[in-house]
Amino acid sequence: MLDLSVIVNNWAFLVVQGLLGFGGFTGGTLRLAIPAIVLGFGLGIFIGIARLARSGWISLPATLYVEFFRGVPLVMVIFWIWFIIPQLLRLPIPEYGVALTAFVIFEAAYFGEIVRAGIQSVARGQVEAATALGLTRPQSMRFVVLPQAIRNMLPSLVTQMIVLFKDTSLASIIGYVDLTKAAQIVDNREIRPFELYLFIAVVYFLCTYSMSRIAARFEHRLA
Amino acid sequence: MRYEFHWAVLWSGQSGRWLLQGLATTVELSALGWVLAAALGIASGAMRTVPWRPLRALATVYVEFFRNVPLLVWMFFWYFGVPQLLPEVIREWLFRHGAEFWAGMFALGVYHGARMSEVIRGGIQAIPKTLFEAAVAMGLTTFQAYRLVIVPIALRLSLPPATNESLNLLKNSSVALTISVAELTFQTRQIETYTARALEALTAGTVIYLVLCVGIAAIMARVEHRFAIPGLIARGG
Amino acid sequence: MRQLLAALFALGFVAVAAPALAETTLEKISGTGVLTVGTRRGSPPFGFVNKSNEWVGFSIDLVEQAIKPAIERKLGKAIKVELKESTPATRIPLLTSNQVDLIAETMTDTRPRRESVDFSLTYFVTGAQFLVKKGSAIHGIQDVAGRRVAAQQGSTNAKIIRERVPTAELREFPDQPAAFQALAQGQVQAYTNDGIQLAGLKAKAPRPAEWEIVGDFYSYEPYGMAVRKNDSDFRAVLNNGLMEAIESGLYFGLYEKWFGPKGEVPYPLTPENKRFLLMQVVPK
Repeated sequence: MLDLSVIVNNWAFLVVQGLLGFGGFTGGTLRLAIPAIVLGFGLGIFIGIARLARSGWISLPATLYVEFFRGVPLVMVIFWIWFIIPQLLRLPIPEYGVALTAFVIFEAAYFGEIVRAGIQSVARGQVEAATALGLTRPQSMRFVVLPQAIRNMLPSLVTQMIVLFKDTSLASIIGYVDLTKAAQIVDNREIRPFELYLFIAVVYFLCTYSMSRIAARFEHRLA
Repeated sequence: MRYEFHWAVLWSGQSGRWLLQGLATTVELSALGWVLAAALGIASGAMRTVPWRPLRALATVYVEFFRNVPLLVWMFFWYFGVPQLLPEVIREWLFRHGAEFWAGMFALGVYHGARMSEVIRGGIQAIPKTLFEAAVAMGLTTFQAYRLVIVPIALRLSLPPATNESLNLLKNSSVALTISVAELTFQTRQIETYTARALEALTAGTVIYLVLCVGIAAIMARVEHRFAIPGLIARGG
Repeated sequence: MRQLLAALFALGFVAVAAPALAETTLEKISGTGVLTVGTRRGSPPFGFVNKSNEWVGFSIDLVEQAIKPAIERKLGKAIKVELKESTPATRIPLLTSNQVDLIAETMTDTRPRRESVDFSLTYFVTGAQFLVKKGSAIHGIQDVAGRRVAAQQGSTNAKIIRERVPTAELREFPDQPAAFQALAQGQVQAYTNDGIQLAGLKAKAPRPAEWEIVGDFYSYEPYGMAVRKNDSDFRAVLNNGLMEAIESGLYFGLYEKWFGPKGEVPYPLTPENKRFLLMQVVPK
């Protein structure tokens, strides 16, 4: 039968250590998700713009980058960074670094596509008008195209950010104590998977649902 | 110290066989998961656009809850949590017949069903309402209108984002390794533990995924081209 | 076509291996002041998370109380110990990729493994058995043919079962807790691992009386701590630490704490094994 005492006894560990990241273990979903979203989006902007560059030297590597990372599972990328890169660089990388790097470079490909689509959705007329006014290409990009593009891509951006937030759960595979790993630790001791995984499902849901609500309000104000 | 490549480990001994078995499992898992996801996605996507609130609410609850929780959590939930609720007879049968595979399949199918639902819903909402009204005016019930007119068109419209979601499903099948499903990524780890050749094993796995995703994307691009409805092309994200 | 280029592009990057910085482990520890250790999180009592959600264990204690002082004496400075989780499938890659400097968990010293890593002296002796529900029809390796058996991916136990009983349905899990849970729920009929780890699992299970450990040892499992190959200075310090601990009695005190009658997992030290441990201590 449903035994909620395991949640009552351990919820502090799950939320404080797993979600927020304060405790005896290196961990925390938020501690990983927030930098990953910021850095991933940042890198994504570069990649998205690079894909639209006129010079083949810039656009081809960007395209290869996007096609590569969209063609492999995130789990694979995590394993690559975990096992191979430290060996190549002869430098140990802590779990946090491995997870953060993997998420940033992987999600940047997806953010890049969103940025690209957003930029391409801005009417040609805008760019032409900007050039007619005397703005150089980088200037028109910065002051005219990007602001409008960002407004257009906001819904997709938010979706991708929520996806990234959920993807941070994969960091548990390499031992990073995020919300999912915290639940596993407790489950291994108490063996109450139904209650525990349902509980963290609700926690994840609350987080992502509030993210989309806040974003919806933001969009409303910008539109 | 230069790393010495031993590509031969990939086809000598058990490694090659494991890679193929892993590939087969990945394809099986993804195919079956896809069927479940498509069924759930079409049903719930359509349900979210009908005029009856209870149906809409039900579908919305399903979609919002299942797609906002990470797939990994669902894997653990379906594999460790759900069997405990089943009656003994079914549970025993399940354990004897590869419970981890079915748990993985359900986790994938139900999760991606919720995501597919949004794609289908987008497709349906891109169809002008007049089409639906015309169908009803001709005497079709709502259900018939959906089945014969709306959904087929919506499917054609949502082909690009649906392909994207399907490829996501294929890639997400790798998460099943956490519940001991011997799919492709699991097998690359297996090869690595037996031969200590991490680089070769990971490269093989990565290349296979790339080929699979690229192949499917290329085929679907052709299909999308043939099925696109001029003037009504839904630009998917 | 583009994507094929992408794959080749990635492979090319990987093929150009960066030049190595040849630094020994002792130099690295001296430089960073940190000894990174790979240990288990779900294998009581060697490395596990207790009810207060603290990471503790016999292997962890040995590192903190025997190895760390030995390194500090050698380097002449204080160092910190950092723990990382490792499992049978990940421990060797973690070590060879420099993510950890030492594996102090439940790793069996075997000849094939010595081709990838070096081992310290043996610090624990056990053998492989099976954990089953009380009253199960399985009494040892002779009964597992055709049955569903769980093991950890990459363990010596998994390899042996695969070779010796090919008809057994082997299910390999990333770590021990996942495998035990599968057993607890009936997904598999037996879980195979080293006797002491099974004893630890049983002792920590919600209802220990439900489980029994069956079968004679079907393999000899001497545990050693693992370090990277060609790192003899570090290995010497490691062995010195272990030998000091055995000589001074610290080892036996820790053994009593974790495996004694009042310990977490009672597992008496046989006179034979005690003698073996003592004889590994070579003269100063």
